[in-house]
Amino acid sequence: MDRAFQRTKILTNHLLQSSPSSPAQIPSLSSNACLDYSPPELSEGYAFDIKEMRQLLDGHHVADRDWLFGMMMQSKLFNPRVRGGKVFVSPDYNQSMEQQREMTWKRIVYLLERGVFKGWLTEKGEEAEMRKFAYFEALGLFDHSIAIKLGVHFFLWGGAIQFFGTKHHHDKWLRDTENYLIKGCFAMTELGHGSNVRGIETVTTYDSNTGEFVINTPCESAQKYWIGGAANHATHTIVFSQLNINGTNQGVHAFIAQIRDAVGNVCPNIRIADCGHKIGLNGVDNGRIWFDNVRVPRENLLNSVADVSADGKYLSSIKDPDQRFAAFLAPLTAGRVNIAVSAVYQSKVGLAIAIRYALTRRAFSVKPNEPEVLLLDYPSHQRRLVPLLAKTYAMSFAANYLKMLYVKRTPQSNKTIHVVSSSFKAVFTWNNMQILQECREACGGQGLKTENRVGHLKGEHDVQSTFEGDNNILMQQVSKALFAEYVAAQKKNKAFKGLGLEHMNKPCPVIPSQLTSATLRCSQFQMDALCLRERDLLKCFVLDVSQHQAKGESKEHAFIMSYQLAEDLSRAFSDRAIFQKFVEAEATLAAGSLKDVLGMLRSLYALICIEDVAFLRYGYLSVDNAAAVRREITKVCSELRPHALALVSSFGIPDAFLSPVAFNWIDANSWSSVQH
Amino acid sequence: MASSVSSQQDHQVLVEANSSARILSLNRPKQLNALSFQMISRLLELFLAYEEDPNVKLVILKGKGRAFCAGGDVAALVRDIRGDDWRAGAKFFLKEFTLNYLMAAYSKPQVSILNGIVMGGGAGASVHGRFRVATENSVFAMPETALGLFPDVGASYFLSRLPGFFGEYVGLTGSRLDGAEMLACGLATHFVPSAKLAMLEAALCIVDSSDPVIISSIIDQYCEQPSLKEQSVYKRLDVIDRCFSQKTVEEIISALERELVHKMDVWISTTIQTLKKASPTSLKISLRSIREGRLQGVGQCLVREYRMVCHVMRGEVSKDFFEGCRAILLDKDKNPKWEPSKLELVTDSRVDRYFSKMNTEEWEDLKLPTRSKHKLPLYAIAKL
Repeated sequence: MDRAFQRTKILTNHLLQSSPSSPAQIPSLSSNACLDYSPPELSEGYAFDIKEMRQLLDGHHVADRDWLFGMMMQSKLFNPRVRGGKVFVSPDYNQSMEQQREMTWKRIVYLLERGVFKGWLTEKGEEAEMRKFAYFEALGLFDHSIAIKLGVHFFLWGGAIQFFGTKHHHDKWLRDTENYLIKGCFAMTELGHGSNVRGIETVTTYDSNTGEFVINTPCESAQKYWIGGAANHATHTIVFSQLNINGTNQGVHAFIAQIRDAVGNVCPNIRIADCGHKIGLNGVDNGRIWFDNVRVPRENLLNSVADVSADGKYLSSIKDPDQRFAAFLAPLTAGRVNIAVSAVYQSKVGLAIAIRYALTRRAFSVKPNEPEVLLLDYPSHQRRLVPLLAKTYAMSFAANYLKMLYVKRTPQSNKTIHVVSSSFKAVFTWNNMQILQECREACGGQGLKTENRVGHLKGEHDVQSTFEGDNNILMQQVSKALFAEYVAAQKKNKAFKGLGLEHMNKPCPVIPSQLTSATLRCSQFQMDALCLRERDLLKCFVLDVSQHQAKGESKEHAFIMSYQLAEDLSRAFSDRAIFQKFVEAEATLAAGSLKDVLGMLRSLYALICIEDVAFLRYGYLSVDNAAAVRREITKVCSELRPHALALVSSFGIPDAFLSPVAFNWIDANSWSSVQH
Repeated sequence: MASSVSSQQDHQVLVEANSSARILSLNRPKQLNALSFQMISRLLELFLAYEEDPNVKLVILKGKGRAFCAGGDVAALVRDIRGDDWRAGAKFFLKEFTLNYLMAAYSKPQVSILNGIVMGGGAGASVHGRFRVATENSVFAMPETALGLFPDVGASYFLSRLPGFFGEYVGLTGSRLDGAEMLACGLATHFVPSAKLAMLEAALCIVDSSDPVIISSIIDQYCEQPSLKEQSVYKRLDVIDRCFSQKTVEEIISALERELVHKMDVWISTTIQTLKKASPTSLKISLRSIREGRLQGVGQCLVREYRMVCHVMRGEVSKDFFEGCRAILLDKDKNPKWEPSKLELVTDSRVDRYFSKMNTEEWEDLKLPTRSKHKLPLYAIAKL
C-alpha cells in the first residue's frame, strides 16, 4: 500500500511539473526529481594520500602525463563533449571507418606539431624511453586507435630500423620517421601465417647484376595481412620474407620497401587492399599487401644479424638458423611490453567507471519505504568489483617492473624479458577483457552506451590477446622456458637462478592443515601457496613430457600432448611473478595508511589466485581450506569497500577520460541535455 | 533586518536586504575594494547565513567606486608577514580559499557585477559564482607572476578551463582583458552596458527564484553582444595555443621567439618581455598549477593552492613574493630582484617543494567546508 502511494505521488509530481509547453518550468523538474545524484566525493573520504598512491602506480613522469592529458582536452580534435556539466573527450565512434581513420591521423599531426614525439627515435637512454612509455600510456587512455597507429609507426617500423638495421639505416630513416616525413608500417603477418613467423611464404631473391633484392608474393596465402597503416597512409614498410640466395633458403629476413610515393599513390608492382571494418580499432587503416617482384636496393636489407655482399654471398656471424632467428626477433619485445601496460590502464578506466557508478546508483530497498541500497553496499557487488581492483593494482606494479626490465635490458636479460613479457602480456590482456566485461555488466544498461566507454573498450582491446603473439602461444612459450630451466638445473645439478625460480632451491613449503584468518592475510603464507603450486606443476609438467618421450614421442609432440599442465603451469608462474612484484612495491613503503590499504589489496590478490580451481584440482588445498579462502575474500572485500573511491581516484585518470555514467548520469540524461 | 544592522557595524561590506535578493557591496573604494581579512570573514559569514535562510534566493556581489575588487589586500599582508609571522598570511588565505570554495559549490546563484577592475582575489570572489556580468568598464587580470606569487583563489581551476591554452596565457603574463574578451573566453557569462546595471539590479530583486534558467533569462534582457576590439588578444588564439601549450616555461618562450623569426610582431615581443620580467619561480609554479588544475575538481585545486601559498608565505624556497611586493607595492621602484634570477635555475625539485605538504607542526591542509547537507545545483556538482 505504502509503495503504491509513493509511486502515485511521484507520478503526480512528474505530471504536474512537466508541462512541455512552458519551457521555463522544465528545469524545476530536476529540483523535484525522484532521484538525486550525489557525487561520491561528498560522502566518501580518502584515508590515504591519493596523489602518493598515483605516483606509486604510474611510477614515473606523472607531470608529463598530465601535460599530455591537458593537450588532448584543450583541442577540438579530441572531440570534447559536455555531458552532465562536465567535458569528456573520446573519439566519435559513430563516424564511418574512413572518417575515424582521418581523425586519428589529424590528431597525430596535432601532437606532432606540439612536439609530443620529439626524441622518440633519436633520443637514447632510460629517461627518454620511460617518458615515451608514459606518453604512450596517456594517449592510449584516449583511444586505442591512436595508440596502435603510433605504435606501428614508432615501435614496429621505427623499432625494426633501430634494432634490425645498422648505422646507415639509422642515419637515413630515424629522424625522418620521428618527423613523419615518411610513414612506416610493418608487414610480418600473412594470411597463411601469424604466430609461426618462420613459416611465412613471401620470398626474396638477390639479383647481383643490378645489386637489388626482388621481393615476391608467390601465392594468395602469402599476402601480407592486418598491416596497420597500409590501407591509407603508410609510405614505407618493413617486409618480412624468406631470403633465398642461390637456391638456399637462409630463413626470415627483414627488408625496407617503399609502398607509396610522397603524394600517396601506390608504387608500381605493389597491390594494396583494405582489411575492412573491424570489431574495434576502426581508426587504424589495416591493409593487405601483395609484392609483384618488387625491386629494392641491396642496402634495404636490415643487416644487423646477416648481410648479403654485392656479389651475392650470404654472410652471418650467427651460423645456427634457430639462434639467428631468435636473435633477430628478440628486440621486438617492446610491443609486448606496451600491450601489457596498456591493458592495465584500460582496466583502470573500466573499474573507475564501474565503481564510481556503483557509488551513486541504488537498487531495491531492504525494507519498504527505506531508501534503496547503493550498489557497492551489496556484498555481492563488492565481490564482483573489489577483487578486480586488487588484480589491477597487482598488474600495475608488475607492469612497472616489466618496463624497468625492458629499459635496463642487456644481452643477458633477453631470456627473462622474453618470458616475463610473454607471460604478462597474455595474463594482463586476458584479465583486462574479464575486468571490462564485469564492469560493463556492473553498469547495467548504461554500460552498453558507447559514450560510457566501458563496453566499447572491450571491442577496442579484444585484439590485444592476438596481436604481437597469440596469448595461448605465448603462455606455451613460458612453460617451455620453465621446462628448459628445470632440465638444465637437473642436468648440471645446479641451483635455480632467475625468473624468480629461486624458491625451487628451498624445501617445499607446507600449507597448514587449518587456515586461520591471520594465516590467510600473511604474505609469507600467500607466497608459499603460490610457490608450492608453481613448483609442483613444473615437476608434473617435466614428468609428463618425459613420460611421452619415454614412449618414443618427440619433445615437440610431448609438449603438444601435455598442454593442460602447460597451461596450468604458465598461469602459476604468472600469478606468482605478479604477486612478487606486489610484495616488493609494498615493501618500499613506510608504515602508514598507504601501506595498510596496499596490504589488504595484496592479500585479496593472493587469495583470489589461491581460490583458483588448480589448488583443489591438484590437492594443494583441502576442501575446508578452500572454503576458508573464500570466506576471507568476502571479508577483505568489505574492508576495502570504504576505500573504493580513493583506490580508483588514485588511478589518476582525468574525469574527462572517464565517461558520463561515472559522474552525474541523471543530469547527463536529462531532458534539457536532449535539447542541446 | 538583522543583516542591515550588522552591516553598519562592518561597513567594508554593505548589505541591502529589501527583497529575496541580497546585494552585497564591497566598500573600500580608496583601496579599489582590495579584500581585507575582515571583508573576507564578513562575506563568508553572510554567504553561510544566506544558504540557511529560505527567504534568500539570490546573492548579488558588486563593488563601490571604479573597481569591483582589485584583489586581496596584499600590502597589509606583507606588513604582517614582515613581522616574521607567515602564519598570519596563511590564515588570510585559509579564509579566502574557504570563501572561494563556498562560492563555487554554493546552493544559490551568485550574480557578480564586474563594472570595473577585477583582479586576483576579485576574480576569486566572482568567477566561481554562477553569473558574472561584465561591462564596458571591466578590466580583468591575474597579475600574480609579476608580484612573485601565482594565480591562486582557485584560478588553477577556472583558468585551466578557458578555451585552448588561453588560461596559461592569462595566468602567466597577467595580460589585461576587457569585458568583451571576458565574455568571449567565458570568464564572464554576460555583458551588460553599465548604463543598464541599475535596471538589471532592480529586475533581479523581484525575480524571487533561484532557478538559474530564469535568472539567466532576466540578465539576457539587458545583455548586449560586444565586439572584440581590432587588437584583441582573443584574436590571437592560434598563436597562443601553439606557444602556451608547450610543456615548460622555457619552451613557451622559445616557441614565442620562433614565431618572431617569421615576422616581427609587437604583441609577441611584448609578451616575451612580460614573461622575462616576471618571477621565474612564479612562472614555473603557476604553469604547473594550471596544468594540474585542469585535471582536478575545484576543491582539490584550492587544497593544492593552499599548500603552495603557504610555501610562498613561509619563504623557504624563494622570497620572491616579498621582493615583488617591495618593488611593485611598497618602494614602487618596479625593479624586483628575483632569486633564483633565471628560469633554468628553478629546478623541478624546487618546483616540487611548493606542491608538497608543509613539514611543520600545527600546519594542516585546507579543510573544505562540507557541502553534502545542501542540495547543490547541477553546475556546482559538476565542479567537484
